[in-house]
Amino acid sequence: MAHEATHDHHDHHHAPQGFFQRWVMSTNHKDIGTLYLIFSLTMFFIGGSFAMVIRAELFKPGLQLVQPSFFNEMTTMHALVMIFGAIMPAFVGLGNWMIPLMIGAPDMALPRMNNLSFWILPFAFTLMLSTLFLPGGGPAGGWTMYPPLSLQSDSLAYVVFAIHLMGISSIMGAINIIATILNMRAPGMDLLKMPVFVWSWLITAFLLIAVMPVLAGAVTMLRCWPAR
Amino acid sequence: MAVVLALGAGIAQADPHPWQLNLTRGVTTWSGEPYFLNNVAFGVCVVIGVLVFGAMFIAMFRFRKSRGAVPEKWSHNTTVEIVWTTIPVIILMVLAYLATGGLVSFANTTGAQMTVKVTGYQWKWRYDYVDYLGKPISKVGFMSKLDALSDKTRQLGSGLDPYAVKTGNENTYLLNVDKPLVLPIHTKIRFVITSDDVIHSWFVPAFGWKMDAIPGIVNTAWTNINVPGTYRGQCAELCGQDHGFMPIVVKAVSRADFAKWLAKQEQASAPAPAAPPAAASSAAAPAAAASAPGGNG
Repeated sequence: MAHEATHDHHDHHHAPQGFFQRWVMSTNHKDIGTLYLIFSLTMFFIGGSFAMVIRAELFKPGLQLVQPSFFNEMTTMHALVMIFGAIMPAFVGLGNWMIPLMIGAPDMALPRMNNLSFWILPFAFTLMLSTLFLPGGGPAGGWTMYPPLSLQSDSLAYVVFAIHLMGISSIMGAINIIATILNMRAPGMDLLKMPVFVWSWLITAFLLIAVMPVLAGAVTMLRCWPAR
Repeated sequence: MAVVLALGAGIAQADPHPWQLNLTRGVTTWSGEPYFLNNVAFGVCVVIGVLVFGAMFIAMFRFRKSRGAVPEKWSHNTTVEIVWTTIPVIILMVLAYLATGGLVSFANTTGAQMTVKVTGYQWKWRYDYVDYLGKPISKVGFMSKLDALSDKTRQLGSGLDPYAVKTGNENTYLLNVDKPLVLPIHTKIRFVITSDDVIHSWFVPAFGWKMDAIPGIVNTAWTNINVPGTYRGQCAELCGQDHGFMPIVVKAVSRADFAKWLAKQEQASAPAPAAPPAAASSAAAPAAAASAPGGNG
């Protein structure tokens, strides 16, 4: 009761939030960090189930479960889902949770962009995973999607667009982290006193901004390859 | 005596066997090169591993806090820094020198006595014999694809036992073809390797190399086989749904046997103009015949 009272007193200018407002419209770095981590765990299980299909088929010689083309789709999708859906959002989720706490900032520097950069991801992955249910199946061009083999997948355009979306999300997340680290440190927290986690995220964010446009350009050029 | 030993070793090491720990030595004049380079690099790694992990173990075991170890006060030693910079530089220079030698000898296809064109297709190989001992070969070329038994066995839910696919005593599930590439031994053979559709890679482990088959690009490699025998390989670059089902089989025979085989092939491919298969194909699809790669050798 006492806690409730203090809480109300502290947050008296906030209207009570419903579930939708709390989780979908959130600008709170901890809530968004939690969303990132839950999303990452979900993708980890989806990507893991693809790996289980691969391993179940390889369990003994001969073909028992899936056609070779579907096997190749599983390989490509496993890689894309695990890298863009599990590893990267897990790091961004931890960054969202920990960086403001570690440098003494009240929130991320750009909280609304933070919300947008998370909510792009579910749409991007819905688009990419939906290719498995399309005629012709998902992308089956190895995990690096190298041409000309990857051009034989009917769903390549979907995957390219999904990767563009993931890249936009990553770039916005990286900008947010750089802006937070460079502008929102508490007095006395100079760069050389920052925890190594924050330093590693600062470097990673710069690398992401450098790399993502190149990746986007590369996957876009896949569509320009002369068709055979 | 040496010949007998070499023959025995070559045959014994052509295929991997259970509990084989190292790579195979291969059966060609060049294939010892990557084997040797790998052994040298592995030896260097083992020595470094023993020294580094040994030093770590001694530091953690003999100088742990519970034994009353007291840290030294010094933090820098120029001599040590010079030593542990110089030794890795020397190791890297030695490795780079040896590896460059291997690459140069690998790339040197000059003086070849025979040329074979290899073309990757989804999902089979085509072999065209271009020349042999300075003489051009006309119209000897064929497709080489997965053998019928492996193909039947590998279908989803075929119910057939992959272990039952055998050639003699050897299990050849997904490792056998309908028409193998026949090559002479003791002959320097140049391969020109390309592809008709996507990237493939022509890989026979007993030769000690693999070479990408890239559409629009012709790669070259060479071999000189010392030991007669059957050498199996596979496509080594993901090329679509049947990537795992386009093996490579090389049958290396003596030069006399090869000359006989080649003569028979040339005879079969140069019959009277009214030969039924040629007439049928050219009448039915002139465009296809015109665009068929290597159609006239």
